[in-house]
Amino acid sequence: MTAVAPSLPPGEPSLEFRLARRADRYGLWGLIGAGVLLVAIGAGWVTGPLATLALVLVLGIILALIGVAIIGGPEARRILAPYGLLKPGTLWLALFYLAPLWTLLRISLSSKESRFSIDYQFTWEVSNYVVAFTEFGPQFARAFLYAGTATLLTIAIGYPLAYVIAFRGGKYRNILIGLVVVPFFTSYLIRTIAWSFILADSGIVVSTFDRLHLVGVLEMLQIMDNGRLLNTPAAVIGGLTYNFLPFMVLPIYVSLEKIDVRLVDAAKDLYSTTAATFRKVVLPLSLPGVFAGTLLTFIPAAGDFVNAQFLGSPLTTMIGNSIQDQFLVQNNQPLASAMSFVLMFIIIVLVVIYSRFFGTQDLA
Amino acid sequence: MAIRRPRTQSPISRRQFLLRSGALGAAGLSLPPLLAACGGGDSDTAPASGAVTPADGGGNSLFFENFPVYIDTTADGTLGTVDRFKQATGVDMRYSEAINDNNEYFAKIQPILGTGDTIGPDILVSTGWLTARLIRLGWVDKLPLDRVPNLANLEDGLKNPTWDPAGEYSLPWQTVLVGIAYNVDATGRDLGSVDDLFDPELRGKIGMNTEMRDTMGLLMLGLGIDPSTVTSFNDAAPAFERLERAKQDGQIRAFHGNDYFDDLASGNFAACVGWSGDILQLTLDNPSLRFVIPEQGGMRGVDNMVMPRGARNREAAARWMDFVYDPVQAAQITAAVQYISPVKGVQEELAKIDEALATHPLLFPDAATSARLNSFADLTEEVEQEFDEAFSRITGA
Repeated sequence: MTAVAPSLPPGEPSLEFRLARRADRYGLWGLIGAGVLLVAIGAGWVTGPLATLALVLVLGIILALIGVAIIGGPEARRILAPYGLLKPGTLWLALFYLAPLWTLLRISLSSKESRFSIDYQFTWEVSNYVVAFTEFGPQFARAFLYAGTATLLTIAIGYPLAYVIAFRGGKYRNILIGLVVVPFFTSYLIRTIAWSFILADSGIVVSTFDRLHLVGVLEMLQIMDNGRLLNTPAAVIGGLTYNFLPFMVLPIYVSLEKIDVRLVDAAKDLYSTTAATFRKVVLPLSLPGVFAGTLLTFIPAAGDFVNAQFLGSPLTTMIGNSIQDQFLVQNNQPLASAMSFVLMFIIIVLVVIYSRFFGTQDLA
Repeated sequence: MAIRRPRTQSPISRRQFLLRSGALGAAGLSLPPLLAACGGGDSDTAPASGAVTPADGGGNSLFFENFPVYIDTTADGTLGTVDRFKQATGVDMRYSEAINDNNEYFAKIQPILGTGDTIGPDILVSTGWLTARLIRLGWVDKLPLDRVPNLANLEDGLKNPTWDPAGEYSLPWQTVLVGIAYNVDATGRDLGSVDDLFDPELRGKIGMNTEMRDTMGLLMLGLGIDPSTVTSFNDAAPAFERLERAKQDGQIRAFHGNDYFDDLASGNFAACVGWSGDILQLTLDNPSLRFVIPEQGGMRGVDNMVMPRGARNREAAARWMDFVYDPVQAAQITAAVQYISPVKGVQEELAKIDEALATHPLLFPDAATSARLNSFADLTEEVEQEFDEAFSRITGA
């Protein structure tokens, strides 16, 4: 983003000229400086009067940059514009994402004198991570197994749905997409609890299976267990699938909807079969949507605890339940923080691997 | 069992709660006799009217936080205790049912009380072991018991409890019996033993309570271990192992807090660790629900009123405690919640309301029943942590 230096006027360069020449540097360092100051405030590195001073400094930086933009003329404004646009997002993330993340990291390496004390001593307590890895293996495994299965199911259900809406929806497209989102008008919790009624032992689903004599088959497939559907892994995965389906449908729909139908026509003109057209034209063009949908579904599903809480049993707890329990019931915040970091780390690794293989930068 | 009832804490009092505001207006007709009853009952309400001392934040408002379904509520023209108290004293009282589980609630208030701040409620209800912990941590204030004349009505057996030997910090709210609650439609037979919870026939249909002492107490009794004398984790280890095995076998459907009514009523739970009063109340609506003290014995726990440190409305709190320790008022609560009242004279008053309840063995246990009830031992902080951690590992969270 190096500025094209304005042509050198003769004699002493004017203030406007000098500001414009350095605008790039000012913009970058202003952004970084304000971000670091906000992290310092949020993470508690500076407190009391110092924090006030830091806040004043942040405001000063912003005002100074505005000043540069005004005095520096159009050239400086052109150079500063991207930094200005980045500022709200960057500062927001510095204060509300980076600072808490730092605090969480510190707590995860801390210990507590007693479990009822509210102070943490930073003691490089690496054992928290050891415990998180060794004692919660099954919960981690279940979280990724359930979230992965649910993600595959949302693709299986969501892709055809998005396809039909995008290509056959016609003038009803917007209404149909609206219907996909309608469940969001009800609280997530209520929707999940509603499923516990639907899947109850005396509920409509189980009694229908019973009448159709499907219970034996479903028990053999390990979907049902001793005549029950609720409080089984199947119920938890089903709940996750249901709750995250719109996050899969919407991005796939967007990428399908963008596809130029003339490409499909061209494939047909070249004697492609319908199946081949789909495989070679439509599917590759829609993969960015699938990729985005997968991230939007898998990541929150892996950390979810609501579905396992209301639809699961003690044998289906996911890591989200464990973190919640350690945080809010056992009062072991250091361990819970360590578990959160391990979860975050595993998700990052999985996402990096996934994007290596399915990354769609060149398709998007 | 066809259709599940909407998920409410209890069919009776939730409905009553919703009706409360409406019923307040409609209750005008039944008010005078009630007020007369209050005034004539005892020395309780008379001094209250003139005893407003603004020194401690005023006696005109009060915030009481309790477990759900743990008091009589206003319905069908009958005023609940909270509304009778408001009528009698003019105190602006807020009643909340936000406590679902001792542990959860403790985790909620811990970061606030731990930093020395004060929480909203003036009075909250905590089970004995949590009362002990709150007293140990210094997070509760002494109760204004010198302004509670009806303290004289406290049952002798509840004076000087182990968690509060001088009886300064806590005042019992109700005593709870812990036993097996079951739905006879789902079990197909009557249950009577702790071993019934491990019956393979009921696999996947058993609920266990998240209240560690209630669940583990019953399981220990089932193995012949006395929970009232347990001092180390090793004493209780076999019971924990049995619970872990049952979990691994898929015997246990879920660990539940106060929210087990629907699962039990709908048959999702064939049986679970239940509390006597809950089941007695639910039986009115659903005769298939039963409560039994297992042959190996049952557990007993006392829930106490305590005042969190820094609670402001001490005067109103004293008036409330005095009010609910009047047997006339306490009998109304007992008639609704059907737990064991800590107040002397309730049995006589209850007989005027409901003859059958006044002789019910689960409300007024005779000597033989009492002998089968056990209280969980007081654990030291370290041992308690061992128990809690072992239990939390099994609950799987």
